[in-house]
Amino acid sequence: MHNKNQHVTLRILRFKPGQIDPPRFQNYTVSVEADVDPTILDCLEEIRLNQDPTLVYRHSCHHSSCGTCACQINGIPRLACTTQLRQLPTDQVISLEPLKGFACIADLAVNMDVLFKDIDPLWSGLKIDEPDAGTSPQGIQTWQRLEDCIECGCCISACPKMHAGNRFIGPAALTAINRECTKSPGSRKKLLALAGGDRGVDKCKRVLACSRVCPTRVYPSRHIEDLRRHLKNLIANKLLK
Amino acid sequence: MEHILIIGGGVGGALAHDLALRGFRVTLVERGALLSGTSGRHHGLLHSGARYVLHDLETARECFEENQILRHIAPRALESNDGLFVALDAADMDHWDRFIDLCAQAGIPAEPLSAALALTLEPELASSIEGAVRVPDASMDAWRLPMQFFATAQCNGATIREYCDVQALHVSNRTVKGVDIRNHRLNRVERLDADLVVNAAGPWAAKVAALADLQIPLRTVPGVMVSVPGRLNNMVINRLHPAGEGDIIVPQRNLSILGTTAWMADDPDVVQMPPDQVSRLFELCSRLIPRVREHEPHAIWHASRPVLAQGAEHDPMRMSRGFDCVDHAAYDELEGFVTLLGGKATTMRAMAEQTADLICRKTGRDRECRTREKVLKPYRSYYRIDVRRWDA
Repeated sequence: MHNKNQHVTLRILRFKPGQIDPPRFQNYTVSVEADVDPTILDCLEEIRLNQDPTLVYRHSCHHSSCGTCACQINGIPRLACTTQLRQLPTDQVISLEPLKGFACIADLAVNMDVLFKDIDPLWSGLKIDEPDAGTSPQGIQTWQRLEDCIECGCCISACPKMHAGNRFIGPAALTAINRECTKSPGSRKKLLALAGGDRGVDKCKRVLACSRVCPTRVYPSRHIEDLRRHLKNLIANKLLK
Repeated sequence: MEHILIIGGGVGGALAHDLALRGFRVTLVERGALLSGTSGRHHGLLHSGARYVLHDLETARECFEENQILRHIAPRALESNDGLFVALDAADMDHWDRFIDLCAQAGIPAEPLSAALALTLEPELASSIEGAVRVPDASMDAWRLPMQFFATAQCNGATIREYCDVQALHVSNRTVKGVDIRNHRLNRVERLDADLVVNAAGPWAAKVAALADLQIPLRTVPGVMVSVPGRLNNMVINRLHPAGEGDIIVPQRNLSILGTTAWMADDPDVVQMPPDQVSRLFELCSRLIPRVREHEPHAIWHASRPVLAQGAEHDPMRMSRGFDCVDHAAYDELEGFVTLLGGKATTMRAMAEQTADLICRKTGRDRECRTREKVLKPYRSYYRIDVRRWDA
């Protein structure tokens, strides 16, 4: 225990179609200096650049804004770029697997089509600014900023109902639908029809795993509850008429 | 039409888009995931150009022109927030008049604000500031903006292949005829033929050029960025002084991104962060917004700039961020091979235009650039097109 460097073992699920197929685990060891705390993504970079150039994973921004590096870290979907190694029990082997519910391209990289197939490309990725009351300048309320959801897929990976073969549209798409209801009131009816459809909110069993794993605190389950309320009101209004 | 092979899934996306619009057959190969090198990893600043006026007026002009074009072709990847150049002390004020004059020369709208007015816009700024100048900077999504180039290129027929690492260039009769790639997905080597190969590998371009025994005037200049949780500012905050370290804070989503530093590296794959970079960033940025000090880092990362080695400037922060495309037929008597050098994310469309113009001249094709007007497809379209991307 007096070594300057700690050796940490990462157990990575490898997959190459037709080559490493079915998938199998492979262990890698990274050496970590006592005074540094790398992220899981730093470890993957270290392995790819110095040990195994064939290791495939997605990454881009390295600070949780692109949403590309999500994977199952010790069984929980998280962003590799903001998961510090020392948050994990480094005296044990750390397991890395691709997100669940997506087709695997190779190793840790998955095809994101599942997430995007129910999100219209034209729905806006921007929202009106929500500044802190009192501290923000005048006029800023009309400024737009990027949506908090980074479409990383963690919520889909965590949702047991996504993987039960029951054709659930999923927490990411429902979140996008609810956000779009606010931003495009003209499309609200069509959007709520999607949310209330046979792949919609009724398939959600309120497990709340989506909200627990969301790295940018979008909390999809709240959006799903919003949609349920909107749908209820819509039905109540119809009955009153 | 000729088959153009692009090496590099960063700025190469803008080039694939430009060439596809001009009717070329395009294949792009990237050794990792798209935008996993430099182009997706910056602090997400759409430059107005003002950062460069004091030492590199040409880059400043280019940035402003591209800023206006990107607002037109990719409005949904940008926050609408503008930027402030803040004068902290008397030494910064010495640059004030020249800064405003040079902004005017570069065509960049620059509105001088009193300290009091700047503080109403950005209350977290240090209360002792001398004044500020408002410019049309913006926060961009460093991944979603360039993904729009890939989405549009793909819709227009370009083939985009990730996890394909170029291992060799095929040369015969002093002409590049294609490349060997290692397909990391299928664990095999494949040969791709092309009429022309473009090296758009950013800081890795020197390694690609070395496959043909060529040397190119390129320096690898990494920089560190730190994000802190929460949004300390809504506008992009810069310090009004000759561009230096730790003088930008870019807000994005619920983060504030502190940038940046610069040093020289030999190899973009072996980047060692010098000690104390993070504490220096906190120290320097807290002069602009004191509350920076109250935060722990949310993420620490670095990215390598590809910087064109030209002129006498040796300070990596002040070296020009200009770009060039090199026809190796003219310099090295090697046909069929073009290298794109230097540049930055804000100017990626212009880099692509200049390179595609060169390719048109080389292939004798008289096709005009249309990327200034053509509004890009949404980035999500990249995942919605029915193409067999993974089985090329």
